[in-house]
Amino acid sequence: NHSHLSGTDPFYLEWVLKVRVNTQAVLKRAQQIQGGKVAKKQWQAAWLLKAVTCIDLTTLAGDDTPSNVHRLCMKATQPIRHDLLKSMDMHDKGITTAAVCVYPSRVADAVKSLKAANSSLPVASVATGFPAGQTPLKTRLEEVQMAVEDGATEIDIVINRTLALTGQWRALYDEIRQFREACGDAHMKTILAVGELGTFTNVYKASLVSMMAGSDFIKTSTGKESVNATYPVAIVMVRAIRDYCLRTGYKVGFKPAGGIRTAQESLVWLTLMKEELGDEWLSPHLFRLGASSLLADIERQIYHYVTGRYPAYHELPMA
Amino acid sequence: MLLHATSLLMYVCAPGWRVSCRDTVSVCLSCVSSLSLLLLLLCSLDWPSTMPAGLSYETRSCLSGSRKVCVCVCVCVCVCVCVCVCVCVCESERQNLLKTVRKCVVSRRHGCSKSLMSCFVCPLGVVAVLVSDDCSIYFLLLKVLPALAMGNAVIVVPGKTTALPALLLAQLFMEAGIPAGVLNVVTGSEALLGAKVAQNPQVNYQTYSGRQQTGEALAKAVAGWGVPMSFCLSLSSVCPFIIFDSADLDSAVDGVIELAFKKKRDFQWVLCVQDSVLDIVVARLKLRMNGMKCVPLATETDRKLIDAAVLDAQQQGATLIQSCPPGTGALYPPTVLCGLAPSCESVISPPPGPVLPLISFRSSAEGVALGNHSPHGQAASIWTEDLTLALESAKSLCVGSVWVNCHSVMDPALPLCGRRESGNCTDGGREGLYQFLRPSHSPSLPHSSPSSINYANFGSTASKFMIPEGFDPSSVPRFYSQFVGGQLCKADSGCSRSVLAPGGSVLAHCPDGGRKDVRNAVEAAMKVQPGWMKKSPAARSQSLYSLADSLDKRRRDLTVSIQTQTGISLEEAEKEVQLSISRLSDWAARCDKEQGGTPVLPQSGSALSSPEALGVLGVILPNSKPLLSLVSLLGAAIAMGNAIVMVPSEKYPLPALEFIQVLQASDIPGGLVNIITGGRDQLNQALANHSVIQSIWYWGSKEGCQFLQYSCVSPLKRLWLHCEEEEEREAGQNWTSSNPSLQEELWRKAVVWKSIWIPTA
Repeated sequence: NHSHLSGTDPFYLEWVLKVRVNTQAVLKRAQQIQGGKVAKKQWQAAWLLKAVTCIDLTTLAGDDTPSNVHRLCMKATQPIRHDLLKSMDMHDKGITTAAVCVYPSRVADAVKSLKAANSSLPVASVATGFPAGQTPLKTRLEEVQMAVEDGATEIDIVINRTLALTGQWRALYDEIRQFREACGDAHMKTILAVGELGTFTNVYKASLVSMMAGSDFIKTSTGKESVNATYPVAIVMVRAIRDYCLRTGYKVGFKPAGGIRTAQESLVWLTLMKEELGDEWLSPHLFRLGASSLLADIERQIYHYVTGRYPAYHELPMA
Repeated sequence: MLLHATSLLMYVCAPGWRVSCRDTVSVCLSCVSSLSLLLLLLCSLDWPSTMPAGLSYETRSCLSGSRKVCVCVCVCVCVCVCVCVCVCVCESERQNLLKTVRKCVVSRRHGCSKSLMSCFVCPLGVVAVLVSDDCSIYFLLLKVLPALAMGNAVIVVPGKTTALPALLLAQLFMEAGIPAGVLNVVTGSEALLGAKVAQNPQVNYQTYSGRQQTGEALAKAVAGWGVPMSFCLSLSSVCPFIIFDSADLDSAVDGVIELAFKKKRDFQWVLCVQDSVLDIVVARLKLRMNGMKCVPLATETDRKLIDAAVLDAQQQGATLIQSCPPGTGALYPPTVLCGLAPSCESVISPPPGPVLPLISFRSSAEGVALGNHSPHGQAASIWTEDLTLALESAKSLCVGSVWVNCHSVMDPALPLCGRRESGNCTDGGREGLYQFLRPSHSPSLPHSSPSSINYANFGSTASKFMIPEGFDPSSVPRFYSQFVGGQLCKADSGCSRSVLAPGGSVLAHCPDGGRKDVRNAVEAAMKVQPGWMKKSPAARSQSLYSLADSLDKRRRDLTVSIQTQTGISLEEAEKEVQLSISRLSDWAARCDKEQGGTPVLPQSGSALSSPEALGVLGVILPNSKPLLSLVSLLGAAIAMGNAIVMVPSEKYPLPALEFIQVLQASDIPGGLVNIITGGRDQLNQALANHSVIQSIWYWGSKEGCQFLQYSCVSPLKRLWLHCEEEEEREAGQNWTSSNPSLQEELWRKAVVWKSIWIPTA
């Protein structure tokens, strides 16, 4: 029921194999987008608030405990200090981040915190042997099921890079299909780990395979690789999304993650989405930003817009 | 009663003197001359004899410790309490204060200049001490007594709660034989009565203690009058109460019960508990709070605030620990709000009354981070039996007082110095005396009346674009770069301005920096400063020596740049460079000399007071002695562990720009020293509007001083202002002087004081 393509077998190997990407042209486009002017003044503030609503506020660390997950959830429900929102007359517009993103073992804590705070914010969980994906398929599937049982409504799975790098696209497709089934009603975001796929062509192919297998989002990276979300690789992925949309009519979302830290970068990401995919991809149901420290910088920029002063980090509440 | 006096009531020490504000000030002035008499008088006063019989020492220290001073309806009680407090403050303070004062007097008498105090021989003159309505008498006396002891005449403008005790204090002084007019108390119900007093051209210094909003209004009202003003905003400070898992939990919970649910609190508290002991602490709190009585609130509106805050917290998932269900009216039961997070409204600004927010943390490092992540920096209470952890946490907490296994203990012997938005002056201790003294070499801010300034667009006019006339292609002026984050760079705007020689010809071009350049410089400074501060003093000293060395190697370049820029003779320029080299060496040698101490306390245990770096400083440099003044200020700032953003004078920027080469060739880390050229007002505005900058040292126009005084209360900065136009007319700061008082003053401006209390049995 989650396949986007009609027919008995939604996997088109030919389509995947035909893909070609020209590296320098993609790099040039990426530079164009980065070099463009970003909005200023009240327009910038508006774009920044938009960016906030697209953030998957993330903590993926070995030392996560219920207490910092609780703090994260509270920050996600009130991402910008109330008095700042009030002075922009945005305090009653329900501005929250798009979701919180945690490890499977912390899902229950996050769900509990959000429930206590009467918030309907979705909890996303990474799964399937995050970040490397080097665990047996059985345990990866169980991980997805358990996260869903604990109350995660979004699952960020990682693909099996071994299959992608050795060109076993069919096998990769089958694996992701199984994850899709395990997710049930939960949204599935597929992490391609672009830093480990070698070429843009491989990224494009992996994007197509993931979408064919029923992903709701494709996501650049885990944040644990050496190369994470870069603009050129994002252009390759969003072009695959566009291609897929044109061919099937199904809109797949995009989530860059890893290394996005400044408000300025978040504006470039929004510009990239607007330029390549159009306004429809500027909302949390088709665009997410995976980040942990980005929110603090956006809050500082908004503080500057409201008061005219640059704040110190300690003036804004800790996440 | 006196408290309800709605009209202006004036009490001057000499009985029966009721005169207008202006007259009071002139009385004060006439008294300043006779103040040496007062010093001797204070030394000879026999304070204990004025103490009511039957009060043991323990009672007194207890009274002073918890400042149980309330204005009771019964004047009798009031007299008693007041006497106790002022006596015990004076008692312990006298030991410290008078020792220094005696030294001061003695050294003056013998013409001895060896004592460091002797360079601060000037009292300020007339000092106005203002407090807000709910400020306690302790904080009032913490300012009044040192100010008097240092030889100033004092005008006290007490708030509602302190009016009566202050009047009684004056009476006490009078009985003790203080000369008429030295201590004055002005009471009244007017909100900005303090500002009226301070607007008098003959007041030399004013200091305020209390709430932030009133402080802000006061600062705005007196901006431009040429009166330096300092703030102690402890009353609106939020302080962390941190319980680590190694604490004696029962005692820690006792501490919480003792301080959080009092009717009147000096600070707001947030309870931070380590995860591993959270359940135990919550269980003990429940047990201890069981059956506690409701606490009366100050006003009915407080009740509304509390109800709203508690409801909001509950909606965010907080659970309540309450001793009994809340009734109606101005009473509320002691309440702990469990399960909150730092982003919740009731943690950012806790409601008034007996409501305590509780948050939890994972590791001890996170506990400290949580305590530091706040705009306030008044005090912290940490609970642990682990000595190493206690000292490490105390060191890394960015607050003025750290209480280890205790809370709210205060003693006049130790400095009380708010950080960040909690204050910008040091009260108490030997360190606190300096705010009431003026180095004899240092000119004070000239009195003036404020000019009309549009604060909103101050410094926003771009500098004028100039096309040089009679352009000669054979001698193209050199283009200099500014220095941001260890890199030579142009201005963010890409604009430049011309530097003129004394004759009026274009000497060179320098970048026209602005807001974004300041922002970049501060980002860089912020990153490198903590590492620099943590370096050992010896390592800092080595870096400064290398800077002096590097200056020595480039002395010719700098001599030439000073000469061409200012038009002085070559010998004079050489002399300035030579002096600059030795000034830097002086600072290098001083890095490991300035340290705190361990004052003796009336209670058993240890106390430490230590100077700490402020953080990032902004300096707008003077015109006079462009190189020497630069290295004197730079040396002071970085020797004490600060990072610095400097703006060379608009008129003579070349020596500073040439100095960049010296910085690059030394081993001063990149980003620690930043030099930005451009319009003074524009950069002044940019520095004032950056919260990371903790202090601004300013040489410049009267309007610039006024702008800084107006805008630097929220967020609070430490200001050191100099009006250059006036100073040129009179004898300005003497940079060439080898008197140690200059360096003494400079390093004191570059540090904040932290006191750590570790009581033992």
